[in-house]
Amino acid sequence: MKQKISEQQARDSQSLDRLQELILDGDQAESVTEAKKLCAAGVDKQQIVTKGIEEAMKKLDAKCTVEQFSLLEIMLAGRAVTAVIKELFEDSTPPQTKGCVVLASLEGDVHDLGKNIVKTILTAHGYRVVDCGKDCSLEKLVDSAAQEKALAIGVSGLITSVAPLVRKILPMVKERGLENIKILAGGAALKQATSESLNVDYVSENVFVGVDYINLNVAEVQ
Amino acid sequence: MNSLERVTAAVGFGKPDRVPVIAQILGHAAKVAGIPLVNYIRNGETLAACQLKALERYKYDAVFAATDTSVETEAVGSVLTYKDEAYPFVKQFILKDKNGIENLNLPDPYKDGRMPELIKAAGILRREVADEVLVAGVVMGPMTVSSQLIGMEKALFMAMDHPESFERLLDFSADVSIKFGLAQIEAGAHLALVFDPSASPAVIPPQFFREFILSRHTRVFSELKQGGSAANWLHIAGPVDDILSYYPEAGVDIANFDYCVDPSTALEKLPKTCLDGNIKPLSFVDAASREIAAESDRLLELFGSGEGFILSSGCEIPPESKQENVAAMVSAVRRGGA
Repeated sequence: MKQKISEQQARDSQSLDRLQELILDGDQAESVTEAKKLCAAGVDKQQIVTKGIEEAMKKLDAKCTVEQFSLLEIMLAGRAVTAVIKELFEDSTPPQTKGCVVLASLEGDVHDLGKNIVKTILTAHGYRVVDCGKDCSLEKLVDSAAQEKALAIGVSGLITSVAPLVRKILPMVKERGLENIKILAGGAALKQATSESLNVDYVSENVFVGVDYINLNVAEVQ
Repeated sequence: MNSLERVTAAVGFGKPDRVPVIAQILGHAAKVAGIPLVNYIRNGETLAACQLKALERYKYDAVFAATDTSVETEAVGSVLTYKDEAYPFVKQFILKDKNGIENLNLPDPYKDGRMPELIKAAGILRREVADEVLVAGVVMGPMTVSSQLIGMEKALFMAMDHPESFERLLDFSADVSIKFGLAQIEAGAHLALVFDPSASPAVIPPQFFREFILSRHTRVFSELKQGGSAANWLHIAGPVDDILSYYPEAGVDIANFDYCVDPSTALEKLPKTCLDGNIKPLSFVDAASREIAAESDRLLELFGSGEGFILSSGCEIPPESKQENVAAMVSAVRRGGA
């Protein structure tokens, strides 16, 4: 009996490894097929998230740390992750999350590709993400963070002119007594700046170091 | 030497009398002139007047008959949103999916969108500065035109899911770049800089650049050269380290490198191509002028007397930059660096 269970566990583990590989390859269709197989074999959905998707994200993070990486590679992996999560959960959000992160591209900036990638990767890491969209006002962003009891706010900026708006987030958050919310900035324009000059907790060079920062620092707040 | 002779000498690895300095100023010229950015963006005469005022203010070596990244897509049929103090952006892309590619029509640079305004600006600038100062037109490169016709995300997924369609889109986009670039040169621009930020390794892997983009850049530059371009100038923003070695194959004479590229790496990869760069764009907004001066001196010391080097920013100098910071970069070459 014990031998049968361990054989099954070994098969599940192999399938989860295969799911990770397919996600890293950006193979959306095969990733979904593999996730379906895992479900049919009785593997718990949350386990597919933690041992399949989140592990794949860790590997992608490690790969991107040592190699040059591009938006395209992350987008393809992200698309596969989104498809798998949609397959597993009807409302596209896993029932257990590490908490809420609110994202936006601020007023005047209509570029949202970077923000959308952050959304996918955070979701894959087990966060619930509230997306305030692009060209978003500061009021809408801070209101959402308050309503959703967000652990962190992330703003992405591809144009330098949004920097003065980014500087205003912290005072607005403090005014509402929400100073525990961590504020992160990223994107081609904002990552040229320091956290001091932008008045934020962290300026993220890329999506993975941003997620690492949230994993490490938001956990302290929780 | 006048500015044009100085730039020409630097590009040809001759001996300029000093290092040329080109501030990549577009919308900032409107700020110098004290007018709303939207007036600069929409009117060729205003654009040229602002560029001339900025040239008078800073006394650098080139003017640009150029504005934002949406001129080409608007001329093909995308709908833009304009704001008073920001560059316009695409509200509605002309292309919804791969099925529409065959129905796209090449724009007429003398009729469609704002292309005629930019051609007018190139003509005015050339009349005003003649062959004293370099007049640079600008066209978006094939990857950027493609992503502006359908949206970046859709363009990239099309490249992966339907590569043949994507290649057709790239070919159409290259034709747009060529047609608009040639019209700018015919109107008076000495050259048309090819700006292709969507081809950055930050967006696509180097292998993608080699397979999809390189041949299109080669074709664009070949056509522009045949059309009278004084030099082939390629500007791809971001971490271009791993694609610089392809530039000679594309026929690039001037290679822009951004702030995140180590100048020594650029020198090593492109020993026979003129480099321009690479002061951090945001530093023109938030740094002190002494920091800009120090960074300029550092680059001047590294590159020496200006054979194969133009002092510049890594990308566009943001419109809201401090004027004293632009002036600090220009002053550095006049006093001969460190």
